[in-house]
Parts: sequence; C-alpha cells; structure tokens
Amino acid sequence: MSVLARVFEAAGLTTVAIALVREHAARVRPPRALWVPFYFGYALGKPDDPEFQHQVIAAALGMLDAPQGPVLADYPDAAGPIGMPQASEVAASTNGDADRTLDAAGEITALRGYYERWQEQRGHTAVGITGIPQRRFRGVIRFLEAYAESDDADMGERPADVSVPQFVRYCADDLKAFCYEARMAQRPGDNETDIHRWFWGETAVGALIDSITQRLNATDDPSLKAMAYGLSR
Amino acid sequence: MPRLEILSEVQRRMLEFFPCMEADGVPWTPPAKPLSETRVAIVTTAGLHLREDKPFNRDHPGGESTYRILPSDADNADIVQSHFSIGFDRTAIYRDINITYPIDRMRELVQRGVVGSLAPNNYSFMGALRDCTVVAEQTGPEVAQRLKDDGVDLVFLTPT
Repeated sequence: MSVLARVFEAAGLTTVAIALVREHAARVRPPRALWVPFYFGYALGKPDDPEFQHQVIAAALGMLDAPQGPVLADYPDAAGPIGMPQASEVAASTNGDADRTLDAAGEITALRGYYERWQEQRGHTAVGITGIPQRRFRGVIRFLEAYAESDDADMGERPADVSVPQFVRYCADDLKAFCYEARMAQRPGDNETDIHRWFWGETAVGALIDSITQRLNATDDPSLKAMAYGLSR
Repeated sequence: MPRLEILSEVQRRMLEFFPCMEADGVPWTPPAKPLSETRVAIVTTAGLHLREDKPFNRDHPGGESTYRILPSDADNADIVQSHFSIGFDRTAIYRDINITYPIDRMRELVQRGVVGSLAPNNYSFMGALRDCTVVAEQTGPEVAQRLKDDGVDLVFLTPT
C-alpha cells in the first residue's frame, strides 16, 4: 500500500495513506501516512461506527497541510488497540476439540435461517467468492468432505483456471463467512473471540476445514502446505 | 497495529522480518486545490472485488499483483473480499465494509461539501505482498494513469 502511494505521487497524484504497521511505513516512506493503533482488519478502527471512522479519515486528510514529506503521523495510542491480535491464535487454541461425527451439511441447513436473517438485516454478505449460491452449500460440504479424504475430489463449479486447492480455499472462505454471519445474527452480543471459539471449537464445518488442513499438512507438497496454512484461520 | 512492543514475540518478529520495498527520498505532489474542490478516489489493498469479477488467484504467475475496479456507484452488497492473508480477523469486514473501504464515509464527505467529488472508479489490490515489483513497475503505474484519466486529484489509500 505504501508502495502504491509512492507510485501514485510520482505520477502527479496527491496521496494520503492509512498505515497499520508503523515500522513498515517508516521503511517504505510513503508521502503521507497516518499510523493507526488498530489490528489488521480494522484499518478505520471500529465497524458500524461512522463517527469514529470519520475521525480517522479527518486525521489522515489533515496531513495534506504538511509543506513537505514524508509525513508519518501517529493516531493517538489511546484510541487502540481495537480488534483481535490474530484470529488464527483462537483457531490454534481450539482446533481438534470439535466432535467430528457432527453432520456439517446438516449444520449448514440449521444455520441457514440465521444467515438469511443476517442478509436481511444488513443488506450484504461476504459470501460469494465461489459464485455458488448458499442454497447449494450442502454440495460444497460434500466436495470438501471428499477432498478431506483424497486429492481426486473435484467440483463441477470450479472454473477451469482455478486449481482444486485454490478452489478449496474459496469454498472454505465462503463457508466461514456463511457460518460467522449466521452466528452474528443468532448471537448479536458475542464478540469476535466468542465467534472464533465457537466456529473452530464447536462446529462441524470448522472441524471439516481443519481435517483438510491436517491432511494437506501431512503431505510433502509445499504449495499444499501453504494452502493448508490459509484454511484453518 | 499497536506498537510492536506490546505484541507477542511471534507477531513482532513476523512484522519485523516482513520484506518491504525500502526507499530513500520521497515523491511529493502537493495538493493543487482546496479539499472542497478535490476529486478523491479510494485505493485499497484489501483484495476486494465485485461479485462478478474473478477472485484474486495465486495459481497464475503475477495473479496477486493484479487489481480490480470498484465503481463508486457499485452497491456495497456487490463487493466481496478474496484476500489471501489469514493474518486478520474478518468479522469486522463481515459487519461493515467501511472498516477497510470507507466508501460510505467518502460519499458523506462529498455530501457535506468537505470533499469536492468522488471519482467514478476506485481500485483494489492484494495486500501483504512479499514482492511488490510488478505493482511498483506495472500495475501501479497503470492504475495511476487510469486515475489521472478520471481527473482524480487525491488518492486515499487503505490497508486491511
């Protein structure tokens, strides 16, 4: 992101950037960067808080008054930290606890009402990377269950230019978004940690994704290990 | 991120050793007009794209250095994220896309007269790249030209 700021500014565009890692901005030297004390995933600070987000934006735009740069301004430390250090830390602490006899497809069906409530309430969804409608996610589950057993598994909906492992990642991302959004509709008072603990510790879908991770990690293929790393987080 | 000293050692080391395209000097384009007359575009490295676009894909060489166009009049509900990184909590963006792509906030600033106008197109790249060479030399300059063609004065950059 800091690299892009330099490219744009060199092309004659004025830039302001939000920087999450202060040390990286100091090394890359974008023209104007506002460091914010929020964790990854929380660049503007607080979701569903327009006023807070406007304060961050105003601080960033305030750097336009600087006569020369680079400018690396600090948002007040007291505003942070916001968010989770790393979602994967929750996953790592709970993987393997789930009852693997649970029925992941049945779970998807059971969560559907909550998921649709979320969509109705919020007007948007993060589900959609695979392009497969959520009403057909039981088919996605069957594909992942087969892939958890064998590399030979495939799904007709996979585009020809997307490898099976990459498509598995897209499927996992869609299923996670589906389950998380359903849970947020079901239990609006839960915080981020609660939701991660529930997904990785209690759900059959989480256990299914984790079982794929374990199989890929057991191979000698570095590309599959890299894909595994991205699944169970 | 909070200051490194309050992070766990694992996180701190991961960030300290992450490869960056370090530079000396700095390009500098001062604002040419008041903010209230300025045309703004958002460029994010959140790996966002329209539902109808292809997700970011590592199968193709250079696939992670491509970009996607996010029209300003696109419905937020039509935007999804296919970021490779697993190092961030996605519940925030599940709740509110403005957490990383503050398109509604920019629309509000235009309505309030704080910002002159919003460009017709915004752009999204993949973030957390370990090699930014293609972005620096090819796709970044390409987007810069597109922004200039749209009469953009100011680019607001956001990470995820």
